[in-house]
Amino acid sequence: MYVSWNWIGEFVDTTGIDPVEFADRFTLAVAEIEGVSHYGQGLDQVLVAQVTEVTAHPNADKLRLAHCDLGDTTVTVVCGAPDLRVGMVVPFVPPNVTLPSGITVRDGQVRGVDSPGMLASEADLGLSDDHDGLMDLAELKCAPGQAMIQYIALQDVLYEIDNKSITHRPDLWGQLGMAREVAALLRRPLLVPSTEVVWGSKAGPKVTLDDHASCRRYLSAELDHVSIAPSPLSIRMRLRSLGVRPINNVVDATNWVMLETGNPLHAFDAAQIDDDHIVIRRAEPTETMVTLDGEHRSLTNQDCVIASAQEPIALAGIMGGQNSEIRAETTRVLLESASFDGANIRKTASRLGVRTESSARFEKHLDPNTAAFAAHRFVRVLHELCPEMVVVSELVDCGPHVSAPPTPRVVETSRSYLRSRLGLSAAQLSDAWMDETLSSLEFEVTALDTERLAVTVPSFRAGRDVSIQEDLVEELGRIFGYDHIPSQAPMISAHPAALPAGKMQERRARAALALGEGLTEVVLYSFESDATRQRLGLSELDAADQQRPRLTLRNYLSSDMRHMRRCLSNNLLESLEYNLAQGTRAAEGHKGMQIGLFEIGRVFRPIHADQPLQADPGIPAVLTSDSERQTYLNGLSPALLSGVEQAERKAIALPSQPRHLALAIGHRLGGGQKGWVQPLAEVTRSLYGQAVGAIERLLRQMCLPEATFKKLDSTDKRLETSLELNAAWLHSARHAGIWIADRLVGVITMIHPDVRNSLDIPAEAVLAELDLEVLLEIPPVAERGQAPAKFPPSSFDLTLPCTSSVRTREVLDGLTLRLSEVNSDIEVQTQWVRDFFDSSDQYGRAMTLRMTCRRLDGSLSDNDILSVRSAAIDHLDACEGVRPNWGDEIRAMS
Amino acid sequence: MSSDTAPSWQADIDRLSEQLSEAISGADDLEALRAVELAALGRKGSLTALMKRIGTLDKDERKAFGSASGGLRGRVTKSLNERRETIRRQGVLAELSDSSFDETVPGRSSELGHVHPLNRVQMEAEDVFVSMGFEVLDYPEVESEFNNFEALNIPSWHPARDMQDTFWLESGQLLRTHTSAGQVRAMHALKAPFRAIFPGKVYRYEATDASHEHTFHQLEGLMIDRHVSVGHLLDSMRTLLSAILRREVTVRLRPGYFPFVEPGFELDISCQVCEGTGCSVCKQSGWVELLPCGLVHPNVLRAGGLDPEHWQGWAFGLGLSRLVMMRYGIDDIRLLLGGDARFVEGFHPGT
Repeated sequence: MYVSWNWIGEFVDTTGIDPVEFADRFTLAVAEIEGVSHYGQGLDQVLVAQVTEVTAHPNADKLRLAHCDLGDTTVTVVCGAPDLRVGMVVPFVPPNVTLPSGITVRDGQVRGVDSPGMLASEADLGLSDDHDGLMDLAELKCAPGQAMIQYIALQDVLYEIDNKSITHRPDLWGQLGMAREVAALLRRPLLVPSTEVVWGSKAGPKVTLDDHASCRRYLSAELDHVSIAPSPLSIRMRLRSLGVRPINNVVDATNWVMLETGNPLHAFDAAQIDDDHIVIRRAEPTETMVTLDGEHRSLTNQDCVIASAQEPIALAGIMGGQNSEIRAETTRVLLESASFDGANIRKTASRLGVRTESSARFEKHLDPNTAAFAAHRFVRVLHELCPEMVVVSELVDCGPHVSAPPTPRVVETSRSYLRSRLGLSAAQLSDAWMDETLSSLEFEVTALDTERLAVTVPSFRAGRDVSIQEDLVEELGRIFGYDHIPSQAPMISAHPAALPAGKMQERRARAALALGEGLTEVVLYSFESDATRQRLGLSELDAADQQRPRLTLRNYLSSDMRHMRRCLSNNLLESLEYNLAQGTRAAEGHKGMQIGLFEIGRVFRPIHADQPLQADPGIPAVLTSDSERQTYLNGLSPALLSGVEQAERKAIALPSQPRHLALAIGHRLGGGQKGWVQPLAEVTRSLYGQAVGAIERLLRQMCLPEATFKKLDSTDKRLETSLELNAAWLHSARHAGIWIADRLVGVITMIHPDVRNSLDIPAEAVLAELDLEVLLEIPPVAERGQAPAKFPPSSFDLTLPCTSSVRTREVLDGLTLRLSEVNSDIEVQTQWVRDFFDSSDQYGRAMTLRMTCRRLDGSLSDNDILSVRSAAIDHLDACEGVRPNWGDEIRAMS
Repeated sequence: MSSDTAPSWQADIDRLSEQLSEAISGADDLEALRAVELAALGRKGSLTALMKRIGTLDKDERKAFGSASGGLRGRVTKSLNERRETIRRQGVLAELSDSSFDETVPGRSSELGHVHPLNRVQMEAEDVFVSMGFEVLDYPEVESEFNNFEALNIPSWHPARDMQDTFWLESGQLLRTHTSAGQVRAMHALKAPFRAIFPGKVYRYEATDASHEHTFHQLEGLMIDRHVSVGHLLDSMRTLLSAILRREVTVRLRPGYFPFVEPGFELDISCQVCEGTGCSVCKQSGWVELLPCGLVHPNVLRAGGLDPEHWQGWAFGLGLSRLVMMRYGIDDIRLLLGGDARFVEGFHPGT
């Protein structure tokens, strides 16, 4: 909203104050000023001209020549305004003057005719957006040739206030409220405009207030002998400058008073309302009405309407109805000055998608006392705009606020408390200054003793604004100026702080994957789209699998965001697909042919209905009943509080939302290659091996024990785990569960060929997801300082041909076990070195193992190594899947 | 042995000596020299063979032969060593004057990956706070209405409670709209006095454009102590923000309304671009709005199980996404969660 410095000046003496400089202080003390503008600036050189003759333009049909009297001289200019007529008094802009709208008037020809200057509309002068015709100055009764601004106060400084900064201050939605703040800041008195009205003797309109919840106060009166006319130019320009379109004197008066007091008003044409009977009620569920903007509105029983005995005549607090609109022929007017419930107005306005100056104000929960003030002000303002108007009726004033007026709110506090919360001393913040400031903001201060104060809150601040002593701290602080409060280092306890284990874990993971493995971290949305699930082939699984409940949003921005993700992998796969496509299209091969991504984040799963609720100490306690909770929060009575504090508390069972980590690595196709590619064994193995290596190093960075990788079987799939074990991307033949001891900590898989196909991931890709919460529960491997071995190790390699059914892990474990039995003095480490694939060989595969031996009590002898070697060969020879008699060849070779 | 006639073997020794010294000086590299050495001193070497002749000589000749052949062996060994040193020296000199070395050869392509800028800035901020004794907490994103609203003194009529700002779950819970939802959690979990931050993802039911996202990141700060004043808040915010923004900042407070703080503030920092003199970034004001903060409302303390008679506090909510955008000059917030690796790879690798 806008604040007019001229208007403020009518309520407080602003002599000697520069409004532009003052804007800073206002922002720091009251509300954020988004901009300061100079209304009517640059109009000094605009003259008043009287049109004496109008002739045709020789070269243009739509243009005419205006012959004007400028007092001492005359001038003829080209004019396109359709309303141009002889006798008009209009603004004349001489040549070479630049107007606020940016136009510089030229001294030249228009279509071949000299035109030294121009006649201006309000829009031309930057006064409004009214382009329709020339600005009519006739009523100013000014002499031609004089400067226009001598006759009308058009120049003003406007503050544009950030509305968000005054949502909690209903009193600031009018100029008077703003003026009160200015008065307090300037320490000058506030000049409240007169409310003196002589009401008539006739009974007022019959008001039936049915909807007490939506309307706390309703005032009405009947005004007769009204003649509808435009308001004076000065009134119209003031309204325009604050963004309100002038309509006629009655409507303008309602808007004027709304801008002044902050309380919206409405005026009905009494002729359209039977018996002057006004009903404030909820709309019928099927009721409709046409509002002033011509829109048909379908109402619900949540909407409050003002109705005649027959039908709605206004959408309460939002917009009037067409059927009761002030017309040119209106003579009798019913005034409405009311206080509507903010929440109700907001609901209706947002449901109907209509926000007006009125609804914006009522939403803020206005003070019902302001409605009475506004009613009086309306009569006084309308008298000025329409002096023949007669107040025929008494003032009707009804509603719950009138029948049971609230007691004024008194906040008790102490001077020392107010000072200490600001961090100010008695010398900095004196008693007198405190009292003066609070009084200037219309708080009543009663000293209970030298320390204690009882502060009565003015009704226009008492609604939802000021209720506790902390609010008074703010009042004093902002007027004092927060920039004058000395900053003060807090005395704080020294205690060690460290990152929690979960954060450390995430950092290690991030370092391992980004720095160690060269993967790129992404942060993705927590929502999962149905389209993604469909493409991943999850929809069918969803339907078949009732054990896959997801968190579903009640309101969602698009169907893409209807569900919360249960795993990171689905979105990560889509991201991989996207990034692979970017790579191939843009040919940005800065990382070779590979794209590797990872994400750390939460996944979400509902808690089963039959799962026992666990009280989580980190999850807050909640009071059992709403009323207890309300009492507790209002904190009204210390006695109640202690009772409530003992009330039974229950933990809210939030859905489980463990942190997961997922990584995905895929290959870009080289130039020219397109479409689906049959996986190559080497690519599969190298991608899989790369991912396994990444995970092994990741776990090592987290100081966790070594993991084992083995395929999931049907019993595993019934495990309680937050991992997806039944996902469409899980490759039935090429996957593994990741186990540490007996805990399933993750899943790794090559992407299922169908998913690759539907996701447009042309070549093979690998995906892994780990549950970080489970990893956090696994105790890290203890570290111990160990002197380096004294005696040097010796190692030898064995390459054994084997079938593809051989599992490396089993071979290694068996070999390790066997070798530990051979000679307890020799420590042997077995290590997988590499696999060979040879399709020409009937076995097709060979693996190289390395055995590193070390004697604990001395140097190794040749015999030691030979004995280990022959034990290893004997063992491996007997392993299933290893080529029979392979050991004989090896023995022969050496 | 007589001195007037040279013994028969003397000529052999002289010849060999000559041969060897020629061979040694003729060896151009260590390998050749090693071959010469083996040919002379090896098991089947010429000098070795010569020296074996001692067994065939008379007793009285043996001494002279031994002395002569031993002398030769000594000389050969010495000149071998000298030659070896000369060759090595030549090599060193050659290496030190190598003009073929291309010091501009590009480094081998690194395989460093990239940490997302949101996490990088968050980790940095965490470190700053930890260094000042703040606990770092991590709280759920799906929250109860109580923690997100009621406990924060946001009453049922408040516009923030409307459907239009909040994602509600079918279960009646919601996606936290601010990290402030952790305030009462922290109060219950930690023993006062304490100071803590809790960063993380938050959600708003809001259409997206270049400056609006339905998902973004915040960092909440909370300090609870016996006596906390506006003066303390000013000092704390200046210190913390200077550390996080890595420059000395000036802060100012303006009134701001947030139901969970009283008094509540909008905190402005001195404009980094113009250093307070006014520019287009700060709309000529010299100040840039950074974050909301304030003294913790007594109702929030109560909801957190703390007696406002005995405990006070300050709190702030820093927009991490905004901080990242400010630091790296990002003008479209949607890039942050867009999942495009090329965006993340535009930042320095590492953490």
